[in-house]
Amino acid sequence: MTQSPRKKSQSSAQFVARVAVMASLALIFSYVEAIIPYNPGIPGIKLGIANVVTVIALYRFGWKEAASVSVIRIVIAGLLFNGVFGMLYSLAGAVVSLIGMILLKKTNLFSVAGVSMAAGVLHNLGQLLVAAALIEDLRIFFYFPVLLFSGIAAGILVGIISTLVLRVIK
Amino acid sequence: MKQYIRKADIILFIVLIALGLAASAALSLSRTAAGSDAKVIIESGGSLYAEYPLGEDRTVIVPSPKEGVSGFAVPDDSKPASEQFSHYNVVVIQDGHVSVTEASCKNQVCVHHSDISYSGESIVCLPNRMVVRIEGKGGSYDSITS
Repeated sequence: MTQSPRKKSQSSAQFVARVAVMASLALIFSYVEAIIPYNPGIPGIKLGIANVVTVIALYRFGWKEAASVSVIRIVIAGLLFNGVFGMLYSLAGAVVSLIGMILLKKTNLFSVAGVSMAAGVLHNLGQLLVAAALIEDLRIFFYFPVLLFSGIAAGILVGIISTLVLRVIK
Repeated sequence: MKQYIRKADIILFIVLIALGLAASAALSLSRTAAGSDAKVIIESGGSLYAEYPLGEDRTVIVPSPKEGVSGFAVPDDSKPASEQFSHYNVVVIQDGHVSVTEASCKNQVCVHHSDISYSGESIVCLPNRMVVRIEGKGGSYDSITS
């Protein structure tokens, strides 16, 4: 209420700087992941190491930072290496998983790894929903178990890495 | 950071694993051997493109709906698909197995997908919005037509 205009602009500059640094870091992770050649046969199965940055942003700063980093990273990575098509999927997954992470974190019942695990699953679920809408066929849920298990595994791994990093930077 | 793993994490983990196992069990039950009257159904952009018997070998060019303003473009089977369309898939039915051998998209997920031969299985190409699936359980017991 009594925040001076100067203080306000200072904090928004801080916000921009933080988000920019973290988005750049996340983008490097996306790049490293994009150049590793592997073909799991099903789209959506990957570690998503860039999400470590999103998880750390959420815990260290807040949901606004986490959401900004995630969206900026996906849009730029989409334009640079993943293609616009993959970008739409990632965005859908990111929105669903961000909402899930924010809500689960609010309950204060889950650890970082638990929240990240849920996020991994929700990310894949969001992508599957977009895919189902695009091809107008719910039978694509054929892929659901595979994506669920891979989401759990990737989410836990991202969560463990995030926990270790958060322990150091706190 | 209070604890690295908490009770709620483990509960959520068990719930998710159980959900995955239940879903895969349900899917493998719905995956039945394709009978003699099984059909290969090809959909493109959400509508039916073509339907063929699984028992007949053939190669089908499936143009994406992006190719035509309304309806599907008609492929010329004597020419390679890549010369006719910029958005397409090529589906091959051989010895009761269905595979996608060519796709215009970048990711080639449907081409790398393993062959399908069971009723209820499908191959999906998301960029071209194409779905190939096998339908029809067949067999002498449930071949009742309505």
